[in-house]
Amino acid sequence: MKMKTFRRVVSGVIINLFFIACCFLALLPILYALSVSLDAKGSLLSSDFSFIPKEFTLAHYIKVFTEEPVLLWFRNTMLLTAATVALAMATAVPAAYVFSRKRFAGRSVVLRILLLLYSFPSILSMFAIYKLMSAFGLVNTHIGLIIIYAGTMSVFALLNMKGYFDAIPVEIEEAGRIDGCSDLNIVTKIVLPLARPTLNVTGVMIVNFVWNEYIFSINFLTGSDRMTLASGLYSLQATETSGSWPMFAAASLVVSFPILVIFFLSQKHMISGLTSGGVKG
Amino acid sequence: MKKSNRTIAGKRTAVAYLVSAPSLVLIFLIVVFPILYTGYISLTNMNTYHWFDFRIIGLRNYERALLVFDSGFLSALLMTVIWTAVNMALQLIIAFLIANLLNVRHLPLRNVYKTILMFPWAMPGYVSILLWKTGMFNSEFGLLTQWMKELSGLTVRWLQNDLSAFICCTVVNLWLALPFMIMIMDGGLKSIDRSFYESATIDGAGSIRQAVFITLPCLKPIIGPSVMITLFTTFKQFDIIYLMTQQVGSQTGAHIHTIITYAYENAFITNNYGYSSAISIMIFVLLIVFAQTTKRRGKEADA
Amino acid sequence: MRSSPAFHYHTFLEESIMRKALCLLMVFILFLLTGCTGNPDNQGGKSGPVTITIWHDKEAAVIAVLEEAVKALEPEIVVMFEKKAGMTESLKLVGNDKNAAPDMYFFAHDKIGVYAEMGILTPVTDLLGDDALAGYLPLTVKGGTYKGKIYQVPLYFETLLFMYNKKYMAEKDIPATTEQLYAYMQRKTKYGHYGFVEQHSTPYYAAGWIHGFGGSLITDDGVPCLDCAEVKSALTYHKKFVEYMPGETEYATVNTLFTEGMAHATIAGPWFVPTVRAVGIDVGIAPMPIVDETGLPLAPYSGIQGLHVLKVQAQQKKNVILQVLRTLMRPEVSVKLAKVSGCAPAVESCYTLDEVTNDSLIMAMRHTAETAIPMPNIPEMDVMWTVTGNLLTNVNMSGQDVDSAAKAAQKKVLELIEAMK
Repeated sequence: MKMKTFRRVVSGVIINLFFIACCFLALLPILYALSVSLDAKGSLLSSDFSFIPKEFTLAHYIKVFTEEPVLLWFRNTMLLTAATVALAMATAVPAAYVFSRKRFAGRSVVLRILLLLYSFPSILSMFAIYKLMSAFGLVNTHIGLIIIYAGTMSVFALLNMKGYFDAIPVEIEEAGRIDGCSDLNIVTKIVLPLARPTLNVTGVMIVNFVWNEYIFSINFLTGSDRMTLASGLYSLQATETSGSWPMFAAASLVVSFPILVIFFLSQKHMISGLTSGGVKG
Repeated sequence: MKKSNRTIAGKRTAVAYLVSAPSLVLIFLIVVFPILYTGYISLTNMNTYHWFDFRIIGLRNYERALLVFDSGFLSALLMTVIWTAVNMALQLIIAFLIANLLNVRHLPLRNVYKTILMFPWAMPGYVSILLWKTGMFNSEFGLLTQWMKELSGLTVRWLQNDLSAFICCTVVNLWLALPFMIMIMDGGLKSIDRSFYESATIDGAGSIRQAVFITLPCLKPIIGPSVMITLFTTFKQFDIIYLMTQQVGSQTGAHIHTIITYAYENAFITNNYGYSSAISIMIFVLLIVFAQTTKRRGKEADA
Repeated sequence: MRSSPAFHYHTFLEESIMRKALCLLMVFILFLLTGCTGNPDNQGGKSGPVTITIWHDKEAAVIAVLEEAVKALEPEIVVMFEKKAGMTESLKLVGNDKNAAPDMYFFAHDKIGVYAEMGILTPVTDLLGDDALAGYLPLTVKGGTYKGKIYQVPLYFETLLFMYNKKYMAEKDIPATTEQLYAYMQRKTKYGHYGFVEQHSTPYYAAGWIHGFGGSLITDDGVPCLDCAEVKSALTYHKKFVEYMPGETEYATVNTLFTEGMAHATIAGPWFVPTVRAVGIDVGIAPMPIVDETGLPLAPYSGIQGLHVLKVQAQQKKNVILQVLRTLMRPEVSVKLAKVSGCAPAVESCYTLDEVTNDSLIMAMRHTAETAIPMPNIPEMDVMWTVTGNLLTNVNMSGQDVDSAAKAAQKKVLELIEAMK
């Protein structure tokens, strides 16, 4: 007994140390940015860099919030994110389910095409989408941008969720059908709860994409009152001739922080019903 | 009998397409249409001198594009294959390891670790690359340089020669891409029925055997699409290599070119969109061929 | 219902989430149908104010000066200054679109060739008359001229200056020639200190050395000259200086070395001076050293910032745009801009004013403007930057032989220019 607990404790310690090391590696550049943002000296580089700045100041963070309309950007980003997640998930979940469960003409061809779409170097897509959006009159609108974002993420959403649905045993659904559930009920009451991890992961991926996307929002949603967090951050970038690195570092940390909060909160819903034993025997 | 089978199948197809129509329409508009449009532009003479008033000139751009596929391109292709192989192998192994460790039984700080490990992915990409290039690898002031100086007194120019630049770009790519892979694997691991492991433990299988014979096969179909997507994304990776070593005004002396950076320096900067579109289409075809051959080789390996 | 425990969990929660998702989808479909178009930007009409949009990439302080100046035109004309990140690409995208293009943009002159060929610019002389820019420094007018037509109203210009840290470099040490500079570097570059640093492999900066040898990267007709004898001599000569400089060419490193006092001298733009002064360095400005071999000073590129007018908007709003231009062309605006941006005014008459002659920075730039060369604005320049950057990197950092590298670069750039057509 003692050997087992001893081994468990040792392996526990090793695993935790391993993770602490990984976290340090993951955070290394972030800590650098954090230190730059809290430093009163105000430069990106210095010969005597230390993680804890010698002259500590919150001035850069205050500047971020007072000199730039960060809250406005936040509101715009939240609007776009929520709408994109809603649209993308609402369209992709049924499609993923159907591609996973049903067998129909052209299914495998469409799936293969979807996957191969990722191999296209999309350097010139901006032009094409601009032509498309102006044809529909959607160039400077929120709807246009939401459609662009949802479309971009739909391929990933469809394929990812389909792969996940494939892993849910069909027996569960058949058990439900035997019990007299309608098709819609099977999807909403059986499959979706079991698929929570993938809904979660896909949703968070879409949030991250929209949150950090600046190229399209700069071109398709002009006007300083419609800037998003990503395009606002991009405009704060320091160049050789202007801008402040510490403020940019502070802003980038401020912009990234909410995604982490969302991610952390979403971990609660990562439990699938499957692991609690859906079908026995 | 046959008729009713066909109508049932036909109805199923109709329903399937109807349900997935919104998604497919979105995908067609935003992802497929640009490809078709690029194909159309590749047949025109859209460039600086004919920006808005271009006309179709046939396959002349393709003729010219074939000239790009010279020896420089072939070595760029080789480099891209090596880059993709190295990165994919490392990503899969490391992500698998970390995802499994994240799911061990007694780990109270699990969600904290997971959230911190996601940090690289939450930051905008160009900011991270900048921080790595200037904050870490800078040969005068970078963190790594300063640590190196303290440890050994040597000043290392990390990004100057090809090999170390490749390693540094790989490190940055892993740093940026691992969170995604870990998250996908984590989602996949959570879907595997616990009872498989329980019965395997009862049968006396150790954790490594369980990982190989239960986890891997169960995981494959779930993470399959994401792995393919990551494969393509790694192949097409432009930002990291360009911003780290080749951006004008901050070039480092390394000459690692992937096909995208090579195409960029030899075609995209000319603003000749007809020509660049032709090259994009050709790279696209190349990637499709590449994907098909790896799939076939994968199937042979299985058999 | 009896034998499947899976869906006992949170079924009501799932139902309500599904319901919410469906509701959202319906709302958005309704949204789509009613159509939510953006704010109508430029409603020029007989009634109500006319809005003029000007895109820029400048700092707030600079724009404040311009905003102050156009206040006089309100309420009939309202000018909106919009800071646009990625402006050069956006202009390519929307340049011809009446609904999305700005009326003017405020930027450096070097993109004029590209945009003129794309057909999105209108010559300013069409609006202002042929000798509108008579009182402007010739350098600034040349920068905005492409194929004989003037596309830019210059506001101010900048060029690179030789700066030194007075603490380390004494008056007698200020190099008058490049050989003196080299001797200084040999003496002083040790123990982590550098006698002189610059962005040695950045084309914009290296051009100064090439011009100092009488060469140029590209002729006005668009013929590149990367393997001309002058360029090759410049590169070979410059190489020995690079050996005493750090391995990084990018600006953050070079500038930090100077602000930390580890570099005694550098070549930088006027935008750097406020930063330097803010960290307490006593900075001096000196004339550019003269190349011993040729007797020419190092002559860097110059950038001229000004207003450009988009064709698609000029057709509709000719008079309004004309008024805005005339308001912003007044000399006092130029002087204020120069002060705020640390650059030099483009209007000749400004240089008779005391406040200008007393500013050593502005006068230093005026002096360098005699020999500085405006960045070429021809479309071929786009590919020149990349190829020249590669050439410099190959020669300076990868140790390639100058002759072969230059020959390869020339071949490459000719191919690229050919590919542009």
